Amino acid sequence: MTKFSLLAVAAALGFAASAHAESATYAIDPSHTFATFEIGHFGTSTNRGRFNKTSGTVTLDKAAKTGALDVTVDTTSLDTGTAAFTKHISSDEILNVAANPTAKLVANKFVFNGDKVAEIDGNLTLNGKTNPVVLKAQNFNCYMNPMVKREVCGGDFDATIVRSQYGVSYGLNYGFPDNVHLVIQVEAVKQ
Amino acid sequence: MKRSSSNLLKTSRAALAALCAGAGAGLVPALAQSVAGPVTYRLDPNHTFVTFEVMHFGTSTLRGRIGPVNGEVTVDRAARTGDLRLRIPVATLSTGSRALDARLREPDLLATAEYPEAYFVATTFRFDAAGGVKEVRGEFTLRGVGEPLSLVARSFACRQDAMLERQVCGGDFEGALKRSRFGATMGLPFVGDDVHLVVQVEAIAP
Repeated sequence: MTKFSLLAVAAALGFAASAHAESATYAIDPSHTFATFEIGHFGTSTNRGRFNKTSGTVTLDKAAKTGALDVTVDTTSLDTGTAAFTKHISSDEILNVAANPTAKLVANKFVFNGDKVAEIDGNLTLNGKTNPVVLKAQNFNCYMNPMVKREVCGGDFDATIVRSQYGVSYGLNYGFPDNVHLVIQVEAVKQ
Repeated sequence: MKRSSSNLLKTSRAALAALCAGAGAGLVPALAQSVAGPVTYRLDPNHTFVTFEVMHFGTSTLRGRIGPVNGEVTVDRAARTGDLRLRIPVATLSTGSRALDARLREPDLLATAEYPEAYFVATTFRFDAAGGVKEVRGEFTLRGVGEPLSLVARSFACRQDAMLERQVCGGDFEGALKRSRFGATMGLPFVGDDVHLVVQVEAIAP
């Protein structure tokens, strides 16, 4: 086969691939999906807390460069490493997880950079209040996972939210910051 | 833990009330507390944790938290020297996934049955002009293997803590190591060799 015909075949395959591209659904892998918050502690160090349980689905159309997601975080799964800190943040003074046992991220705008997701624009519901949020990708990749023998897509995303916009104002007047940095690891398995 | 938990909650509320009353949470310049000779600070286990980060299939960052970490650090600001000896309870590692925690504890990874603790002994301290700690260098021992390690401050500050009525110094430090150097090789290269350490530390003056 000549170089030309190889190119023609490749182009035809490429065309066929994109012509048949459809949006695929991916299920959140809870063992590789964690949201961590970071908040400054009296200007000295950074306190962190991780939510251990997250579920949901992502749809991705790599050819059309579109996507959507609907993810639920179990706020009762908060884990800071210190029982007292976890208990206090979970209490009705802060996240009130008894009244609001889930946080939700719903997004239908994915911004691509080449073939990678670079940004996700959506709405975050936390403490019963919803605000727009922009998650920026620090890493994004898809790979064939040898254990589950399926494609897995995921990455690292982060965002800074203003907690008072979610009605979480505890300690603002004592010097605890209003800005909270969210650090999110996510992987999702093609269905 | 339960007893100290409720105490912590009470004392932190008291501290907040004190701060609210204007006791002042302002940062004090590190040198303001400068005293002649070495001062030994006790690590605050509620605010001292090591988080490790490693790349999973070139896709996302797998994290695990180790701690709380107890220990002491001695700093002589005038002489610009310091001494840090940490016992890091590796067996406390927590990723958020019990299955992953169990896997990480196995002999081909962190081998926590044989080596429940890691050690960091640092006797080389670098300070900034204001007397804040910029870097601590020493030997990190994991799975019984010692390697040089440098932890660099991303932030460092001291404050007069209204609750403790003591100076508290601390910050966020970062370091990097290759896990294969310590014999923790399972999963290479799909799970990265480069491990990024993120350390929160606060230490209380006597």
